[in-house]
Amino acid sequence: MSEVNMPRLSDTMQEGTIAHWYKKPGDEVKKGDVLAEIETDKATMELQAYDSGVLEQILVQEGETVPIGQAVAIIGSGDGVQKQEQPAAEKIGRSAQEQKQATIVETSTNEQGQTAQQASPPRRADIRYPPATPAPDTSSIPTKSERPEAEESSDGRSIKASPLARRMAEEHNIDMGQIQGTGPGGRIVRDDIEDFLEQKPGAPGPAALPSEGPAIAAEVSIPPDAEIIQLSRMQTSIAQRLSESKQTIPHFYVSSEVDMTEALLMRQTFNVGVGEDGVKVSVNDLIVKACALALEKFPEFNSSFKSGQFIRYKHINIGIAVDIPSGLVVPVIRDANIKGVRIIARESKALIEKARANKLSQTDLEGATFSISNLGMMDVTDFIAVINPPQAAILAVASTRKRFVPIDDQPVIRDLMSITISADHRILYGAQVARFLQEVKRLLQNPYNLLG
Amino acid sequence: MAEITYRQALHDVLREELLRDENVFLIGEEIGTFEGSYKITAGLLKEFGPKRVVDTPICENGFVGMAAGAAMLGLHPIVEIMTINFIALAMDQIVNHAAKIYAMFGGQCPVPLVIRTPGGGGQQLSATHSQNLEVWFAYIPGLKVVAPSTPADAKGMMRTAVGDNNPVIFLENLALYNTKGEAPADDYFVPFGEAKVSKEGADLTVISYSRMAAVALDVARRLEQENELSVEVVDLRSLRPLDHETITNSVKKTNRAIIFEEDWRSYGVGAEVAATLQEEAFDYLDAPIKRVASLEVPLPYSKPLETAALTGAKQLLESINELAPRRRRGIKR
Repeated sequence: MSEVNMPRLSDTMQEGTIAHWYKKPGDEVKKGDVLAEIETDKATMELQAYDSGVLEQILVQEGETVPIGQAVAIIGSGDGVQKQEQPAAEKIGRSAQEQKQATIVETSTNEQGQTAQQASPPRRADIRYPPATPAPDTSSIPTKSERPEAEESSDGRSIKASPLARRMAEEHNIDMGQIQGTGPGGRIVRDDIEDFLEQKPGAPGPAALPSEGPAIAAEVSIPPDAEIIQLSRMQTSIAQRLSESKQTIPHFYVSSEVDMTEALLMRQTFNVGVGEDGVKVSVNDLIVKACALALEKFPEFNSSFKSGQFIRYKHINIGIAVDIPSGLVVPVIRDANIKGVRIIARESKALIEKARANKLSQTDLEGATFSISNLGMMDVTDFIAVINPPQAAILAVASTRKRFVPIDDQPVIRDLMSITISADHRILYGAQVARFLQEVKRLLQNPYNLLG
Repeated sequence: MAEITYRQALHDVLREELLRDENVFLIGEEIGTFEGSYKITAGLLKEFGPKRVVDTPICENGFVGMAAGAAMLGLHPIVEIMTINFIALAMDQIVNHAAKIYAMFGGQCPVPLVIRTPGGGGQQLSATHSQNLEVWFAYIPGLKVVAPSTPADAKGMMRTAVGDNNPVIFLENLALYNTKGEAPADDYFVPFGEAKVSKEGADLTVISYSRMAAVALDVARRLEQENELSVEVVDLRSLRPLDHETITNSVKKTNRAIIFEEDWRSYGVGAEVAATLQEEAFDYLDAPIKRVASLEVPLPYSKPLETAALTGAKQLLESINELAPRRRRGIKR
């Protein structure tokens, strides 16, 4: 018998939601079969079976969220298959069933120090196991996720916590649903509660962590007619990561205006020959390329700050923020410095389509070293973006507008675009950022440099 | 304070008791002329004569029964069972008679009997001569079971044992006899049912007794010196009665516990201690209680196999590292 655990599907993943079970209890499964679909903070992914056998139990129902490492299902061994094929088992009385169930659980939790003989499960021929039944019936078997200590959080999922952690949470009025356990199997322990208590900043701003929920709720009375909306996994993740970013990274901002007249002209020429099914190069694709080339020139931008060290990346991977109905995703264009603008255009179009269809894979979302957030199509004069950790900076791109610009003391109409970099002051300093911005500007104002 | 061996401490306290009270006498196999298999009774036959230091035939059931009878009639016998492995032969006298006479006969006569016997493995004495059978006795109401780990406690607890009106199993350990420690020269007593915090700590508690309590203390001191972890060590000293308060208070402080025992894991002393802790300190536990014990096999003779089967400092260290909390509370604060 083996447990199927909630896998870690990405670096930032802490918990996952079972979106859909493809198998039901009693189904035979082969190694590699897709058991379920898991929704993480970033994407929806498949949960594959690592063992062959029979899916004996589903421990986590669709829609439920559990921390990584927690058992979500149990796959039976060869014995398990046999158990499933015993229709006569239904005749066994309730107490007999429970006895056998207890035996299964006990032998599986046997620990070291036992001789092998003692640890092996009973094999008497007359032992019958309960038949495979839908999950609600078999869930009476005590399992790790259903120990007496299990508690339901406000969103209905069961939580594993040590007795001490549970008591501390009660004393401090903490909803344990907000805490990620770091103990064995995701158990919440004293350390986690203490971490949580220490993280609470003195004066939470409007963008406070979602974990600040109860504290704020205590201060702000909720009108009875207000609607309360639960966050989706993605929204929770965004709230967490961005408040962490804004609270822990010393942001500073440098802005400039870029004359996009030449770039727009070049783009127009560039796209003339493209047929109906061809991919047109967007302004954003040009900005991606310009940033990638500037990053090549200023490698200190292509790095992270981690435990008192700078981590400098070899690859230049640009994340592009994409607005989707359920929130915001930042798919990645890899090695943008060595890709032509047409390839960048094709990739970015594909990524945006995937994002809108909710089909981005984990790989599509990983490894960005710099991000671009472009609200140019929405008539904004200026904005600043929040750094996407662990990146060093993000470029906010506003709309390109026609302006009178003095050229040779004469007012000339040019297309001006306002851009602002948010940078991590632990990694980057003002003059560096200004120079980087100048380089981006130079490239965009001399757009044929982008075609090199 | 003088530093003496555990062996010397036992020898000295037995001699003192023989001098103090003429009703005290020693009885056992090879304790007189041969001066004891482990030389605890060296010189005592010469000094006190054969009425006070009695050599017996190889007949544990017989001489334990004799001693119980003598105790009923007012003497204070101190029996030596050469090793705890041979005590199996005397189980009926201990369990069915000595432990029950006071209660079964209306309290007419107490049985102030002391049975000292060493347990423990690691000497290549093989399966029948290397056991830790103290739980057999700790299980029996009517008996008291003590297991000191230091020369000082051995002296103080032997005095308490001789003065106690109940049968006392006084557990020694082959590997403790040569260990040294300071022991006060005065006439002190170590009461039964009081565990000792032999080292304070904040990150986790190791609960142990007899030889493993000494090993635990070594390991804890080493960890502290290496500035890794602050481990509290509780030496139970007394298995029945068991000091609930000290172990519970320690775990309330550190929230994590390991029970380190040389006996086998299943149904062992650790099982009892763990059950007590979860009953009395449940809301303070931050992790499942761990038991570190010897492998459940008849102990092999072969040295490498014997070493592999017995628990020790290495196993304890591994468990401490597994159980230690992420945040350290003791030393670095």
